[in-house]
Amino acid sequence: MGLKSAYLFLYNAVLCGAWGYVLFLTYKTTQAGGGLQDVWQAAEAPLKVAQTAAVMEVLHSAVGLVRSPVMITATQVASRLFILWGVVVLAPQPKAAPVELLTLPLGGGVRLQLSLVTLLTAWCCSEVIRYSFFAFKELGMQPYVLLWLRYTAFILLYPLGVASELAMVALALPHIRAARPLSIQMPNPLNIGFDYYWACWVAVLLYLPGFPQLYFYMIAQRRKVLRSGRSSSSSKLKHQ
Amino acid sequence: MATIKLVVKSRGGRELLPDGLILPYNATVDDLKARFAELKPYFYPSRQRFTLPPREGARSGEALVSGKRLSDYGLEDGSVLVFKDLGPQISYRTVFFWEYLGPLLVYPLFYFLPQLFYGDLKVPEKSVAQNLALAYWTFHYVKRELETVFVHKFSHATMPILNLFKNCIYYWGFAAYVAYFVNHPLYTAPPVNRTYAALAVAMLCQFANFRCHVILANLRPAGSAKGYTIPRGFLFNLITCPNYTAEILGWVAFTTATQTAAAGLFTLVGAAQMAQWAVGKHKRLLKTFDGRDGREKYPRRWIMLPPFF
Repeated sequence: MGLKSAYLFLYNAVLCGAWGYVLFLTYKTTQAGGGLQDVWQAAEAPLKVAQTAAVMEVLHSAVGLVRSPVMITATQVASRLFILWGVVVLAPQPKAAPVELLTLPLGGGVRLQLSLVTLLTAWCCSEVIRYSFFAFKELGMQPYVLLWLRYTAFILLYPLGVASELAMVALALPHIRAARPLSIQMPNPLNIGFDYYWACWVAVLLYLPGFPQLYFYMIAQRRKVLRSGRSSSSSKLKHQ
Repeated sequence: MATIKLVVKSRGGRELLPDGLILPYNATVDDLKARFAELKPYFYPSRQRFTLPPREGARSGEALVSGKRLSDYGLEDGSVLVFKDLGPQISYRTVFFWEYLGPLLVYPLFYFLPQLFYGDLKVPEKSVAQNLALAYWTFHYVKRELETVFVHKFSHATMPILNLFKNCIYYWGFAAYVAYFVNHPLYTAPPVNRTYAALAVAMLCQFANFRCHVILANLRPAGSAKGYTIPRGFLFNLITCPNYTAEILGWVAFTTATQTAAAGLFTLVGAAQMAQWAVGKHKRLLKTFDGRDGREKYPRRWIMLPPFF
């Protein structure tokens, strides 16, 4: 194994472990009856480290270590960092309450809600699958289970992730509107003005066209990859 | 006269014309497109693209360029061509007209109707910098509109219609963004002498840019055959794309004159885009004029921004 493969294996294996650990902490806390605050307290440090480390992926693709396109990778990482640092960390509300969607009239009433827990579930599961897929790839292996999961789990995880991210923004917006963090007010000698509240709205509007585009692209990829992956050996997968 | 019969397939391999496409043996690519449009009127010539079948292992084959003969590509009776629909097309001139009209309409709105945008803020009397910024901005886009109608010659007549929306969002959006800050009631003007000096420089840049456009337009006299010529004269003797040099320096001067970060961002984004175009053009000229087989050799020139680039 060359130095490059060894490094990429290590990077992907460590991040797979880190996200698995965040998932473990999240569910250990909720199983023990902890609230959102407790989940945040338990998961905060490893979550910040694991998500911020993804900046390395932009670097990997910029120097040609991996084949993924730089701009797309950078956009994806930037949107995650925005949600983590610019919304969840910045405002107290996402760590305090869920967004209630509706209550189904089943049994005693099943409540559907989006919260920090659904966000962490979507993020952790997709990252564990993705990083383990890449780690195995560096070993020259491609277990069919992982291939199948990588091109199937997103069908549920991706919409859940996006919905939870938007829920985080919805929870944080009133605070951002009142406190105006990270904003620059006129007048000043350079005539700079920046309003973080409006910037959040712009970010959210950019999410909307991006979502269906990426989702249907992934569905097309799924058809292509799973069809050829079943019939032939693993070495065919050059596009990943 | 001898004719040849070509087989036209879609990229999926389906035969599009059951009877084939029959053309004189010495037909050009343009004749081919015209004939195809007669048979399939929905695909007017500018939205057609023909390529040779891809070689083994390649993703796509060589594209047929307008102006060449079919025989230049070795096409003969029974040869196969691959057809691609480029989608609805719109002329460059139309796109330019609309994308530059936006800044002409949007910017003055912020100047003349501040009450629409700045809420309850009391609007003070406009400063010299703000008045001159409006005049310069308007002059610049009027110049662009006039050049679009009277000066520019477009080597490609059309582009996909989606570009109209992309370009308009870019120009209209940035016009609003810059105008919002320059005409803000809490705007802080730089020292007035700086504004005068910077706008004088900006006007020189406008003139230089205009001269470059005239030289470029005269490279291909009307009716003459296509084909590249090395641009010469004025700043072209030093730089491959002096029109971009002048454009960028003009915006740097505008940013200095108004001292507004938003104008700086507009300059930066525009410069990045122009740099990309300039590199492409420089490479194309170096490749076309490589000095071999009696072709001219492209002289050593800066790409866009001497003495750096």
